[in-house]
Amino acid sequence: VRAVLVGLGAVGARCARQLLSSGSVRELVVFARHPSRVEGQAAALGGSGAVRLEELSASAFARSLGPASVVVLAANGAGLSLVTASLAAGVPLVSVSDDPAEVRSLLGLHDAAVGHGLALAVGAGMAPGLSCLLAAWAASTLDEMSEVHVATLGTGGPACAKRRHAALREPLEEWRDGTWVRRVASSGRELVWFPGQTGADCYRVNRPDVLLLQRAFPTLSWATTRAAASRRDRLTSWLPMLRRPHPEGTVGAVRVEVRGRRSQAAESVLVGATGRPALLAGAVAAAVAVRAAAGQLTAGAGGLASLVPSPGDLLAELSQRGVKIMTFERAGPVPAW
Amino acid sequence: VRGVASDTAGRGRRANLRLLTRALFAVSLTALVAIIVRLRGSGGTPPHRGGWRELSATDLEPADKP
Repeated sequence: VRAVLVGLGAVGARCARQLLSSGSVRELVVFARHPSRVEGQAAALGGSGAVRLEELSASAFARSLGPASVVVLAANGAGLSLVTASLAAGVPLVSVSDDPAEVRSLLGLHDAAVGHGLALAVGAGMAPGLSCLLAAWAASTLDEMSEVHVATLGTGGPACAKRRHAALREPLEEWRDGTWVRRVASSGRELVWFPGQTGADCYRVNRPDVLLLQRAFPTLSWATTRAAASRRDRLTSWLPMLRRPHPEGTVGAVRVEVRGRRSQAAESVLVGATGRPALLAGAVAAAVAVRAAAGQLTAGAGGLASLVPSPGDLLAELSQRGVKIMTFERAGPVPAW
Repeated sequence: VRGVASDTAGRGRRANLRLLTRALFAVSLTALVAIIVRLRGSGGTPPHRGGWRELSATDLEPADKP
């Protein structure tokens, strides 16, 4: 398999390592806007496959698509032109973007992806991405699913931190009783108990998980997305970032609560994963890319809950690769809601 | 006449200043209330029973429905 990766930031580098260690990728072409800045990282990727670093340009990208089996976009705002070029060349594409506007425009290419018989996996990172897989798996354990609530802790690289900063101030929409309801960002405080971590106060954020989950499960009555934030984060969200974001976040987790019915009784399934956010995102993107290259995803543009036919298998593979997938086991009855 | 005009202008300036002071006070008070409303509140209570358990690959696989 020859894979093309755009972006070698925190998530891109993790994804590249996972692709090269998967055993199925023989050649990896990495595109970067400034190749000289990431030469050291590219040289340190290791793995069994050959790595080639190139400067990102439309012509160089189009040339690389000829023998490629899959494209991974690990750079926010990489541009729709790369996606359309990839689809036109008959190459499936995986995007790790968590920008709602970018996700919406990628979902707009659904008909084109179906027309080409290709998968366009949107939001294949930690959240969205792992969150959608966990929700789909939890839903498969229920007879009927009515609500999904996603919460995250931590950020990957600087681009992810900047995106979260914006997500804490941008107006957002929640899916409630069959319609989109406008909400204020940074509102709706809730104490969330993350796997392997202590509790953290979480607030509504403008992230595309809800959009992707609603498309995957149209019968949902309620879907929300929250992220852990401090008082300073919320108070300064309307200002430019006061200091440079860290190169890579260390503590991270995602928690998904799916509510519904099992055997006519109300049931709530809590699942989550913990680890460095960039590592989780990179592992998910690489695993999805290998499946896309093998033609194992459903054709069309959508989130992982829509395109991955067997989320349990993919989660099992991630678990074998070191991602800690966890479930919360209650000792008492399910609380009423 | 000049004295009356000067007195009227002075009263006008004082009225404008009072209006500005009140507006500033209202804006400051609103900002203070907004900050308090935005930052205070209780997030809830942590779970008292149960705990997180790591799922193995075999736990994850059979849950898929055909």
